[in-house]
Amino acid sequence: MNQMLRQSLTDSDIRRRTQIFSILDEICEDLDLTETQFERARQSYGAVGDWLSGSADPLLVSILVYLQGSSALGTAVKPIGRREFDVDLICFCAGVASGISPAVLKEAVGNRLKEHATYARLLEEKKRCWRLNYAGDFHLDLSPTIANPFCANRGELVPDRTLQEWHPTNPRAYKALFDERAALLPTFVRKHVAMQRDEATVEPFPVRETAKGILRRIVQLLKRHRDVFYENNTDDVAPISVIITTLAMQAYAYCVRRHVFEDEMDVLVETIRMMPHFIKRPILDGRQGYAILNETTHGENFADNWNKDERRAPTFYTWHKQALSDFEALRDAVGQDRLSLNMVRSFGSGVTGRVLGNRVDAVSDGRKSGLLSVAPLIGLTTSKAAASTAVPANTFFGDQ
Amino acid sequence: MRGRGGKQDLTLSQQLLFLRASPIVGGAGTVRENRLTWHTSVQPTPLARSYQADVVYSLGKTPTVQISEPDLELLAQGRPLPHVYTNPLRLCLHLPGIEDWDAAKRIDQTIIPWTYTWLFYFEDWLATDDWKGGGRHPGEEPEDPGNRALRRAMARF
Repeated sequence: MNQMLRQSLTDSDIRRRTQIFSILDEICEDLDLTETQFERARQSYGAVGDWLSGSADPLLVSILVYLQGSSALGTAVKPIGRREFDVDLICFCAGVASGISPAVLKEAVGNRLKEHATYARLLEEKKRCWRLNYAGDFHLDLSPTIANPFCANRGELVPDRTLQEWHPTNPRAYKALFDERAALLPTFVRKHVAMQRDEATVEPFPVRETAKGILRRIVQLLKRHRDVFYENNTDDVAPISVIITTLAMQAYAYCVRRHVFEDEMDVLVETIRMMPHFIKRPILDGRQGYAILNETTHGENFADNWNKDERRAPTFYTWHKQALSDFEALRDAVGQDRLSLNMVRSFGSGVTGRVLGNRVDAVSDGRKSGLLSVAPLIGLTTSKAAASTAVPANTFFGDQ
Repeated sequence: MRGRGGKQDLTLSQQLLFLRASPIVGGAGTVRENRLTWHTSVQPTPLARSYQADVVYSLGKTPTVQISEPDLELLAQGRPLPHVYTNPLRLCLHLPGIEDWDAAKRIDQTIIPWTYTWLFYFEDWLATDDWKGGGRHPGEEPEDPGNRALRRAMARF
């Protein structure tokens, strides 16, 4: 078993790593769409769907508008340097036959949107889709699709970049597969990880059961790490989100089904470590190419661009190596300052400052209100804990 | 002598017994030649380092706390440490001369918890350069200028 080779963790390590995972969970929550944003996006795309369905255009008679991508999967992260989230929508035109040109269908959707005064104002044409800009909040990207008659898995076809051809895709089945894998629960070495978590709940920041499950958090953390890693890179070669998501969900399912883990941080690091093993190297056009296949339909290779731009694959491996070493360093950080430096490097100073600052504020507030105490094994806490000692008021002083 | 309000100076042996009995204080210590010494490790939170602290106390003086491991100045990488006395390096846990500490108070209920908060803010300071634990340095105006005890205390430094 894999864990036999590893040094066993002390109870203090487990408590530390449980807290670190909890902090990473808070990072994700900070970077996620808020409930309000999500609700506003949901209302907006519902209204867009109703509007499109009301069209007299025969191409748009049987339309289904649904969420795809990170907001559908629960893996959204706030982009660096702008306020709007990308919310990706599919506009599935179920009644359209595959003989139609992608450009014609896209135009039909655009024309219908332009008939609506508000949408006409918010509308922006992108290469493959229409964007509705809700300034300061999010933008909705609407990609038209049609049914894929050759996909046994009820897949769809989406325009390619040039609007010349249809490409296979299957967002609904992809989401179902992702959700199924995200629902897999890891097995932990010791039952007392749960016990440690009970103890940990009395800390200033109670350790929360991650509401989203570990896989979604892994994807969010990796995407944020990617955004920070490429923040000042203008080459546009950063690994795309669907590649990170696909490799992470495959690696997570593989690890969770085979391994027994020390704790959540172990799941996180081992999943990241396994990701490159799911990149296939088929012979394409006479040379060894790259394939990261959509498992839910035939013919969608998320790594298509790696075979067209030779910088992309090495760029992925460079980023992945850095990410693995950064997450190992986060897992192993002792001292809040060390953790903080590692977090700044991986996720940026803004979100790190907010999340760790909240924890310091909780201690300071507890100190002011007289609710702060020291508990055995745990240290400072604002919760009632057995055998704890209150921290009385004091004023730090000093020569310097 | 038992004063009004039931407060009485504690002897070194009483302090030692309280330290031994406290569920939050590990380590060991002695009373020898009118001097209490106590060695313990302090880990402010599960994320923090475990610090080796030495408490020394003689009646009529205030208890001192020194951190033997790890080296605080090394961790600070050349930055002057906030809220310490120097030569030797000791943590400044309370204002001298006001009510924070007096000999009727228990070390396990004051000095030890303050060491936890000091080290907690210290690690945050290491990362942010911002001491969020409040407090005062000599020469700074006290928050309440009407507090004469405080002003007297400040004047001594």
